[in-house]
Amino acid sequence: MAAVGFRNWARALSRGKQPGFSALLSQVRAASGPSKGMLPGPYPKTPEERAAAAKKYNMRAEDYEPIPDHGEGYGDYPQLPDRSQHERDPWYSWDHPDLRRNWGEPIHWDFDMFIRNRVDTSPSPVDWHTMCKHLFGFIGFMMLMFYLGEKFPSYQPVAPKQYPYSSLHLERGGDPEKQPEERERTNVAGSKAKSAAEERHAEGERP
Amino acid sequence: MADYREAPLATRPKTLDPAEYFNLSLDQRRAEEERAGLRAQLKRQYQMQLNNPHRKELIEDPALTRWVYARTNPYNHFRATKKTSLLGGLFGVVPLFVLYYVLKTDRVWMR
Repeated sequence: MAAVGFRNWARALSRGKQPGFSALLSQVRAASGPSKGMLPGPYPKTPEERAAAAKKYNMRAEDYEPIPDHGEGYGDYPQLPDRSQHERDPWYSWDHPDLRRNWGEPIHWDFDMFIRNRVDTSPSPVDWHTMCKHLFGFIGFMMLMFYLGEKFPSYQPVAPKQYPYSSLHLERGGDPEKQPEERERTNVAGSKAKSAAEERHAEGERP
Repeated sequence: MADYREAPLATRPKTLDPAEYFNLSLDQRRAEEERAGLRAQLKRQYQMQLNNPHRKELIEDPALTRWVYARTNPYNHFRATKKTSLLGGLFGVVPLFVLYYVLKTDRVWMR
């Protein structure tokens, strides 16, 4: 379709009665392709216009219902049911099987939204309220649990890392002359071994 | 399947519609026949073109041409009503001011 438009533009430029740019403005359209009567037009007001529009779109006059005109620019395009191509019979011999559409069949305004890769309006396996309950219930539960986890943290006891000897007094920029202050040390690992060594030491001293 | 209820945005398949089984008046049957007639004519046209051994070009679909034309030329029938003006203002004018304000204040704060 874009190729057709470009061809018209190029043709208008090369062949137009007025030279150059003004040829583009003169609404020249190629003689090939659909006539004016076969293209979409303005919103139909009289029953004759409706019948003609229905015939144009290959629909029954009773089935044809133009999209209600609130000024958006739909013209006389028919309002077809908002059903996705997912819902069409997969076993029928369509002319275009991937689109599940026959040649010449009127196309929904949002057809490119309703193709089989996109929006699916077919019935869901579970009904709406069950789906809502499940989804929001799960999300709500997870949010609650994460909130509680932030409020009441629970982890293995940890302490700052402790270094032997002068507890990195020099490395931390302490004065070499001054004595390091005594830091309180907690005996975590090896406390049992240390007390056993102390006992042996004490026993050894005793004769 | 008797208690099947469809989701609000989904539809009931035609084969599960009870109206198809219980309310087949003559008018509806006639309507279905007319629709089938239209379908058959279109199918015939397509098949004639498809299986024509002398055909060298692509088969043009007028419904597709009309759809493309309708989608690309809405402004021919556009009218400035309350609804269209509101939508145009909401999506076209307000974001300009909002974005200007947001970006301006954001940058001033960051500096």
